[in-house]
Amino acid sequence: MSARLPSFFRYRGTTARPFVILAAFAIAFALLPTYASGEVGSANVFNVFQALSGIGLVALALGLTMIIGEYDLSVSSTYLLGGMLAVKTGGDSPFLGVVVAVAAGLLVGFIQGFLVAKLRMSSMPVTLGGFISLLGLVFLISNSKSVNYSDLSVSIWLNDPVMSIFSARSLIAIAIFLIAAAIFAFTWLGRDVRAVGSDREASRTAGVRVDSIIIGTFMSSAAISCFSGALLSYSLAYATPNRTVAPLVFATTMALLGGVSLSGGRGFPLGIAAGAISLSLLNEGMAVTAAQPYVTYLVTGGLLVVVTIIDAPHLLRWWKTVKARNNIGFRGGSGQLATTKAGDR
Amino acid sequence: METRTAQKLLEVRHASKSYGAVRALDDASLELAAGEILGLCGHNGAGKSTLVKILTGQVRPDSGEILMQGEPIEMRNSLQAQSHGLAIVDQELSLAPDLSVEENLFLGNIDLSFLRRPGAIRRRARDLVERIGLDVDPRTPVQRLSIGERQLVEIARLVGRDARVLILDEPTATLSESEIERVFTVARELVREGRSAIFVSHRLDEVLDLCDRVTVLRDGRVVAARSTADIADRQELIKMMIGKELPPPQRSEAVEVAAGSGAVIEALTVPPAVQGFAHEIRGGEIVGLTGQVGSGTSEVLRALAGLEPEARGTLLLDGQPVKLGSPTGALRAGIAFASNDRKAEGLFLEKTVEANLVATRLPALSRLGLVRHRALRETARKLADFVKIDASRLGDTVEHFSGGNQQKVFLGRCLDRGDVKLLILDEPTRGVDVSGRAEIHQLIREAALAGVAVIFASTELDEILELSDVVVTMFGGQIVASLPREQTSAELISADMTMSHGSGKEREAAAPAQEGADR
Amino acid sequence: MSGAATTADPIAVRDNRATAIQVALWGSLAIFAVLILFGAFTTDGFLTTTNVKAILSSVAFVGMIAVGTALIMISGNLFSLAVGSTAAACAMSFLALLPDGIVLAIVATIALGAVLGLIQGLLVGGIGANPIIVTIGAASLIQGVALWASSGATLVPPKGDTSYEWLNGHILTIPVPVYILFGAVILLDLLLRRSRFGRQLKLVGENREAARAAGLPTTWIITGAFVLAGVFTAIAGVELGAFNESGSLLIEGNLTYDAIAAAVVGGVAITGGRGTVWQALGGAILIAVISDILLLRDYSEGVQILVKGVIVFAVVILTRLNRMRLES
Repeated sequence: MSARLPSFFRYRGTTARPFVILAAFAIAFALLPTYASGEVGSANVFNVFQALSGIGLVALALGLTMIIGEYDLSVSSTYLLGGMLAVKTGGDSPFLGVVVAVAAGLLVGFIQGFLVAKLRMSSMPVTLGGFISLLGLVFLISNSKSVNYSDLSVSIWLNDPVMSIFSARSLIAIAIFLIAAAIFAFTWLGRDVRAVGSDREASRTAGVRVDSIIIGTFMSSAAISCFSGALLSYSLAYATPNRTVAPLVFATTMALLGGVSLSGGRGFPLGIAAGAISLSLLNEGMAVTAAQPYVTYLVTGGLLVVVTIIDAPHLLRWWKTVKARNNIGFRGGSGQLATTKAGDR
Repeated sequence: METRTAQKLLEVRHASKSYGAVRALDDASLELAAGEILGLCGHNGAGKSTLVKILTGQVRPDSGEILMQGEPIEMRNSLQAQSHGLAIVDQELSLAPDLSVEENLFLGNIDLSFLRRPGAIRRRARDLVERIGLDVDPRTPVQRLSIGERQLVEIARLVGRDARVLILDEPTATLSESEIERVFTVARELVREGRSAIFVSHRLDEVLDLCDRVTVLRDGRVVAARSTADIADRQELIKMMIGKELPPPQRSEAVEVAAGSGAVIEALTVPPAVQGFAHEIRGGEIVGLTGQVGSGTSEVLRALAGLEPEARGTLLLDGQPVKLGSPTGALRAGIAFASNDRKAEGLFLEKTVEANLVATRLPALSRLGLVRHRALRETARKLADFVKIDASRLGDTVEHFSGGNQQKVFLGRCLDRGDVKLLILDEPTRGVDVSGRAEIHQLIREAALAGVAVIFASTELDEILELSDVVVTMFGGQIVASLPREQTSAELISADMTMSHGSGKEREAAAPAQEGADR
Repeated sequence: MSGAATTADPIAVRDNRATAIQVALWGSLAIFAVLILFGAFTTDGFLTTTNVKAILSSVAFVGMIAVGTALIMISGNLFSLAVGSTAAACAMSFLALLPDGIVLAIVATIALGAVLGLIQGLLVGGIGANPIIVTIGAASLIQGVALWASSGATLVPPKGDTSYEWLNGHILTIPVPVYILFGAVILLDLLLRRSRFGRQLKLVGENREAARAAGLPTTWIITGAFVLAGVFTAIAGVELGAFNESGSLLIEGNLTYDAIAAAVVGGVAITGGRGTVWQALGGAILIAVISDILLLRDYSEGVQILVKGVIVFAVVILTRLNRMRLES
């Protein structure tokens, strides 16, 4: 075992990591004016928190499915679907729009979760089908066009700055993160979710209700994603169908930065929040420095690839093989061969 | 003195279970009183694991019943078994590696309230951990604990669950001396509280030390059920387990061994499992490697096959050094390896017999990247013939084959007189019944006769004694003994495997001279 | 000869339910085929030469990418979400290099596709990185590089350049890319069935750890699949560049999803280890026909995407159900 780290890191090492990363990004962001052109002010922090309530919540949704060892490709589409449904049905009552969006999410999540849990299917093929189908549904509902939301007062209310760096929208998102964090910390759900991701069969043997957890997680994931989409569309006052996979890039990177692993069993909502804020800081930094669009693509894509490499299951094995190959067997030891001599003891 | 307490806590009556043609359990009965520790002994394949699986609800017996406090109970799955108070700690730990000790302690426990009160949990966890004598902070992630410590956490979990019957299945195989003492102390304490325990183990001294009574299984039947006070020593116990019918060793032909052929292993170390393993395997010789779970036998074989990237040491094959750490390199050097997990690391279940047989030979059977189909088909037919699988089955997928036939296909891949110099087999007859086993043993002998150096690992002493020219016993990652077959015996090997030698005189008494007299 | 196997074999018990599912599967397949044919023959404008040519063009492009996707699927690595971006980037690179000669443009573009595949393959094959995530990230990177290299502009062929016209030509009224596709399919099919690489690819795809334990060079086999996919995607990109006579990231369109859907619907197992490029081709034809029928009947883009998604969903589920029945 390695040298004894201080007690904080011994048990909280991995728990602290997302916050250390966040601190690094925050410092880099705060120091931006010193090494790049552009000013940094409360408006930028405001934008960061706005992003938290958009793609940040999607990261939470996706992250939950990653914690149980699966991956919900369809969050990208439920994000769009939630927004579209909310705009289309929430004309008279924004609450109704939100309810419809969340209900749709729950249904989608139930179907996918059921297939993964009861049919023991891998989530990637299943959610691929969901991803494409729901994308088609979004295009269908909107007739491939942007749809405007009539009630601008909702939009204004959502975006009105509160204490100059927050807004109603970001406060709602923060509340959701806090609720998720509370559930994780103070109930058995969080632990069971991580157990299922850590070793599904061991959890089943131990008595955890694995199937319910899987279905529940997928339902929560889709519901949160739909809700976030609704929130986004209300705040923009329109919803648009969009084929890009950018939401997946961002959400996955946020989750991975936030301490979630693709192999499951690790991660927690506040960590994901930290990862979300970290990446949003990065994006905001690029916006502030008026970076070209291609830079955004390169940086976000590159960062995702880097964190994926770090999380890769055989990275360690590959590294060990490389080390071993360069110290070919040494002629060590006393060279005492055990041979088949009688009474050789 | 047999204590017949009025409270018979657990009873199994006339349980039988067959898997196809294999009779795993035959009319077995068992009794367990409250406040008693029962030992369950028998060699591999004797039916211990089947009986245990029946008690934990994983397997339903074909006939027979289970009674708890006189009432027959139904156990359709492991959760039901747990609700009756039957709980097991076995090799496959049901711990979630990423979770902390305290989180694992209460995993799946439905008695606790929905809201988690960290303070209360921490206290209960600390209590349990202290009680079991484990010196770790409950916040430690389980994957950072040693195997021994993880076992103790599992036991602690059962204690926390208020299990009435604790089944400990080979729990001490990977524990250190002090950890074993701790487990025993806890077990005795729990039993004093009125619970009961079933201690399944190969380690006979421990069984005699800890248990009040012992039930011995052989070939699926209960051959003895006695109080430990009535058993003089482990010799008696071993005799009950083995019986007098040791199959006569079949190898008698002297083998032409080419000079300088074979494998030479020096200072093989696979941290943390193997330390300084060194041995020689001559061409034509069969070395049988044995030891309990955790003794390092599998790791040695895997290292030789190139599957352990951290392995260090030297391997010379026919005088040429072979790099450890690359399975492709091992294959090229003429090493053939059959893992003990043929499903995960062996067979391609959805592929045909033919495809499986030639899987390792594709480079040899291709020219310029294109496969020579006729040569491939011929090779497949030759291999199928060699392992006695009907040529008409070459096109069948191996998924639905019996364990024996699957294993034969798997071995067929490794056996070819042409290019294999070192044959490595981990548990060559796992999941194979008696007749299939005989066939496979014959195949291995034929390979050796052709000059191949063979090393195999097995936990079944019958197999070790039947097949090996040299028996190498391991414990704790090191070689404990290496003896020609004629100079060893089941008792000796058992003793070495468990490092429970007692005095030197005891060892000599267990040596084959005595066995010869028995025959 | 061999004696009878002395170990008893379980008789393959034909479970009634297993047969029922088989019937249901073949039944749905048959019904589906009938529906397609019915739709085809009753849709106005379907059986015209222009329409058939349009379908063939679409098949040619999607099919090229689908066969590459099939290789990745067979290798056990699900699918690549970067193929569309790769095709778009290759279209752009082809057009950008045309001034230097068409041969150079084609060769360099194919090399680009190969290199992009190589990098992704090494990550997935060598260290076991998650293929979906890696390709999502790669897509973004590729888009970034393409944007940078083109400075955001849409690329067009040099004025008056006709060196690429043959790519848009027809032989016996069939578009040239169709012939290229058939050539590719025949070549890849030979590769899969007759070469050592092909056999090893299927073994790796079925059980990667078993293949590794058996000494197969899994890293290089998986990398090879990704490289080949990159090459064929690049060829599709070249064709698309010539076809559109303009190149930008918009070329990506629905290509990625169409290619994946084509492979899945054609019958390539998403779990890996099995499949042929003919299946991918068949799937591409099916997807193209369905899209065409929907288009001719004035269904919106949304319906088209939705239908494809539902079909993928259904195929994936039914395949799994089938597996489960056979296993029990």
